[in-house]
Amino acid sequence: MEKNVIETDVLIIGGGTAGCLAAVELKELYPNLSVTIMEKAHVDRSGCLAGGMNAINAYLNPGETPESFTKYVRFDSCGLVREDLVLSMSELFEYTVKKVEKWGLPILCDEKGNYVPRGRWNIKINGESLKPIIAKAAKNAGAKILNWVTATNFLISDGRIAGAMGFGIRNGNFFIVKAKATIIATGGAAGIYKPNNAHDAQHKTWYSPYNTGAGYAMGIRAGAEMTSFEMRYIGLRVKDTIAPTGTIALGVGAPQINSKGEKFMAAKYAHIGGDGAPTPYRSHGPLQEIKEGRGPVYLDTRHITSQQARDLKSAFLDMYPSMVLYWAANEIDPSKEPVEVQTTEPYIVGGHTQSGYWVDVNRKTSIDGLYAAGDVSGGAPYKFVSGCWAEGVIAARAAGEYVQKVGFAEIEDEILKAEQERVFNPLLNHTHKKDGINHYDMEVRMQKIMEEYAGGAATFYEVNEERLQVARRRLSTMPDQFQYLIAEDLHELMKAHEVIDRVYVAQVLVEHMMYRKETRWPGYCTRTDFTELDDTNWLKFVNSRRDPETGNIEMFTRPYEQIVPGDRYKPR
Amino acid sequence: MPVIIHTDKCNECHGSTNPPCVRMCPGDLWMKDPKTGKILMRNPSDCWDCLPCVKVCPQEAIEFRLSYQLGFQTARLLPHIHDTRDFITWELIDTKGNIDKFTIRTKILPVELDEKIEGVTPDQYAI
Repeated sequence: MEKNVIETDVLIIGGGTAGCLAAVELKELYPNLSVTIMEKAHVDRSGCLAGGMNAINAYLNPGETPESFTKYVRFDSCGLVREDLVLSMSELFEYTVKKVEKWGLPILCDEKGNYVPRGRWNIKINGESLKPIIAKAAKNAGAKILNWVTATNFLISDGRIAGAMGFGIRNGNFFIVKAKATIIATGGAAGIYKPNNAHDAQHKTWYSPYNTGAGYAMGIRAGAEMTSFEMRYIGLRVKDTIAPTGTIALGVGAPQINSKGEKFMAAKYAHIGGDGAPTPYRSHGPLQEIKEGRGPVYLDTRHITSQQARDLKSAFLDMYPSMVLYWAANEIDPSKEPVEVQTTEPYIVGGHTQSGYWVDVNRKTSIDGLYAAGDVSGGAPYKFVSGCWAEGVIAARAAGEYVQKVGFAEIEDEILKAEQERVFNPLLNHTHKKDGINHYDMEVRMQKIMEEYAGGAATFYEVNEERLQVARRRLSTMPDQFQYLIAEDLHELMKAHEVIDRVYVAQVLVEHMMYRKETRWPGYCTRTDFTELDDTNWLKFVNSRRDPETGNIEMFTRPYEQIVPGDRYKPR
Repeated sequence: MPVIIHTDKCNECHGSTNPPCVRMCPGDLWMKDPKTGKILMRNPSDCWDCLPCVKVCPQEAIEFRLSYQLGFQTARLLPHIHDTRDFITWELIDTKGNIDKFTIRTKILPVELDEKIEGVTPDQYAI
């Protein structure tokens, strides 16, 4: 087995939405710095944007400001959000969007050349090739790209993150990348719960099934402070394809209706905005209809013209082509019948909700030398694509400044040796023909525990103390089982580490859900033993830190700070 | 099975050691069969239906199919990249054989037929 030892000023782990923009910003500000992207797939089509995007969903359309955006995001997150983070990212929406437009992204403009708004925060794009466009910019800027190298753990020296280790999924080399500063941008985590579809459609998920929480897990193992994992993301999506509904709901103004044709959001949730209620309520509302026997639930599109239906299909082709094929294969015309919806598996994704690293306004994590950007970074929901870009830029600026005053750290050989053994153990188990566990079997075991005891779709995403305790106990046995994982090849080795990482995320998630004794985000995390929102006791962030020595997960809270004045439960 | 490969159309990109479909899959699913040199998908049930492999294939040899549990045969969706690379025409065929076409603006970047991976020899791709 060969070792690749690389030294770089800044290491960016994850060449996706946030990572590519971070690389460009660093090279523009500091042309002499060496910048390396470690990417587990190929940057041209990796991460969430592989399939494309049809809109930028976080943009300040005319009349809107960072303050008005922050107010809206605070409302959408049920009154609790890191306002400093939301403000700082929204200040960079225009900077990043204009930049990517310059690189070649087609953005829809009116005859005067202004972007065409879709709602307060959205503009339409033809983003089928969005990912290759930003990847090319990162390459052109001079970043060194390590494709097909998956990160497994940080290098730690004297309490500082000094790079990362990983392995090449195409060459099997052990990678040691020493860095003065590291930006983690690996995205969120899918596949912790049972997927919506089974069998050969198990990966017919909304969130990228290849985002498996590596960055969270590496931070958890290193003892980084994490926040708000209990704010899971459970999205309202088109039934079966799990395609985004914003394209329909915002694109053609389609309200939710139940099987009786009742507009239940308008009827029951008018006090918080009806069909414009905070995102968790737009999942919670339909779930209650289904639970109480008034399903299926639909987005009512029957008022749209056949031209609008064509435009809708065009929009999906830019982002989610299977939606269009699904309609053709099931003889569905959205202008003649409503579009059935369902809720997703629970994802941990800091770009939609706010689960992730606890960071300061510069996106510095609780550990020196480590910055977090995009879905892996916490406290700032509603990032979507442009917010991840903005965070990449912010983290890059801070990391670029940090590397001016530090050198490379010395890493003890024992650390490298131990990680190499841990990483390749599943391959050795195969070579030695040991009896063991296939990655898929372990994934199913983890998903079964989470689904049944930690608020999966089967239990309407509801949790209580007792159920969570069962989940905690069963999950606690899993780390001892990692030694039995077997991988026949490098692809399976990657899959083995993907399940290992998700178990770490699941353990922290269960602790978070157990700690917050209120229901702040119904639909995302509904506690049947604490059903109400409780601002008196729980208007604060639930944070965690796993002790790397003992493995114990310590839970604590951090205060909420209101920066933008106004009613926290109003969108304006 | 979410994607199928039309072996009559696939020319393995003229002996490319690392063809575009193999490079562009975000899930590391496409590979060259070490024995035959043909392109194959490791585990079709791990496919996300994201389509970079379909769009990048110069021979249009890879076709995307809905898992049968989600939709009936023989609906098809075929993207055709214009030579100018600034438009895609999507050909949609429903279960009755009716054809509909959608032409959409884009910005396709050129993709090489092969790309060397640093420090890797071709026989190491599949282990």
